[in-house]
Amino acid sequence: MARARRKKAAARPVTAPPRLPRVAKGRKPQYFADPAVDKLLSITLTLAGELAVTRDRLDALERLLEHRRILSPQDVDAFEPSAAAAKQRDARRAAYLDRILRVVQAELEEMTGAGMPRSAEDVIAAVAE
Amino acid sequence: MGRFTPHSMVPQPSHDEAAMQDFVKSLRAHLASKVMPGAYAVYHSRVEPAFRARHGRPPQDQHEVRRVMEGDPYYQFWSAMQRRSQEMMWETVVESTERQLPQLVDRARKLGRKPKGSLRLDPGLQVPRYHTAADIHLQPGGYHGEFTADDVAAGAVYDVGVHLYLNGALGPQNNAMGQLLTQYFRERFPGRAPAAILDVGCAIGNSTLEWALAFPKAKVHGIDVAAPVLRYAHARAEALRTAAHFSQQNAERTDFADASFDLVVSHIVLHETSRSALTNILRECRRLLRPGGVMLHLEIPRGSEPLEKFMYNWETYNNNETFAGFMTDIDLVAESRKAGFADGQASLDSYAPRMTSAQKNYSDAFAWKILVAEK
Repeated sequence: MARARRKKAAARPVTAPPRLPRVAKGRKPQYFADPAVDKLLSITLTLAGELAVTRDRLDALERLLEHRRILSPQDVDAFEPSAAAAKQRDARRAAYLDRILRVVQAELEEMTGAGMPRSAEDVIAAVAE
Repeated sequence: MGRFTPHSMVPQPSHDEAAMQDFVKSLRAHLASKVMPGAYAVYHSRVEPAFRARHGRPPQDQHEVRRVMEGDPYYQFWSAMQRRSQEMMWETVVESTERQLPQLVDRARKLGRKPKGSLRLDPGLQVPRYHTAADIHLQPGGYHGEFTADDVAAGAVYDVGVHLYLNGALGPQNNAMGQLLTQYFRERFPGRAPAAILDVGCAIGNSTLEWALAFPKAKVHGIDVAAPVLRYAHARAEALRTAAHFSQQNAERTDFADASFDLVVSHIVLHETSRSALTNILRECRRLLRPGGVMLHLEIPRGSEPLEKFMYNWETYNNNETFAGFMTDIDLVAESRKAGFADGQASLDSYAPRMTSAQKNYSDAFAWKILVAEK
């Protein structure tokens, strides 16, 4: 019986799952003099949401591990990484900061990077030759 | 903060979807209780004094308040965050609903097989411009958008979304407004047992069912212009084993005969319509009532002085509640007279529910408005 049902399900034509829109129809107001600030605030709040989700997920994991007597939350609080683990963490944190603060670094590189053009016009002039 | 009590048509969030919904709730509670009150503070401490210094008088109406407040950096930041919280609320609910949509559609079909109530759709019905011009409260696709056969997504998204929107103030099954209005009716008209009740602009039937529960002998109808919310309303009613009869109709002109109902009600619907629709709906409500029948419309507060009116109208300009802005200056009692109710038949009442500061998005003062008329 179960096998017959599986067979029937497999024989169904594959259709793309329905997609729902994410953006509401209408006009979004601009809140700040510079529209980039609007976008940045929107992105920042979304990131805050993602971080809250991650923390809750971590909390779920810790509680499950405690429930199954694998470890207690105190184990996590008292955890001290080994020298090798600490080194890996340092590297990962540095890379993480590079990524989220890239926009600041990019501005600096644009100003001081070796061989950087002085302006966009310089680049256009270079290809116009 | 109230918890949402699920029924079998509510999409079940995954761990991360639930966590994101919790975040949106927390963010909105924070904005309402800690950031929004600052808008009043900056108005009184710097915006109004600056206006007074320049003009020798305070801003005279909500529009003057808006022009100066929109330039204030504190207000700008609250406003932008409030807008984003609304967008995020829908985004997370949309994702969760989309993931489960085929099962939800399937469940709705099954629930409709041996129904206690009924569903009548009209594919030829023209959805009014006040729905299609912009998506009301920023719900992507609005109440009417259809994205798969027998779509119920708009209803599912709305059900979970409005719970988050008011941080649970609408009750465990978004039924607080229906409970409030049924109780109001009983107190105002003691001993009445309406046999036929119509809920106008019923959407997912969250309030409709409260009338069916309050008056089990009555035949209860719900109408709306949007098919996906009605499909959901029907399935939801069946899941909750409550008989209600849903049909896709425009409340400006229904196919019910004259004097079909003892009671015609709506719950926060009028401010989502239009100038002409408002008049037409009130006139149609009166036509549908038997002599002695009662009309009740629950409406959201609009504020009393210019600053509060401006704050309540945040949704007008930032949340696609376009007609709500007009409602501030509309006299619903006068409108009822225009619709044919005699002098003294219509009046406006108010009712302040118990709410926490986390549930009051635009003002510390919140009282529902109730337009009541007896034919």
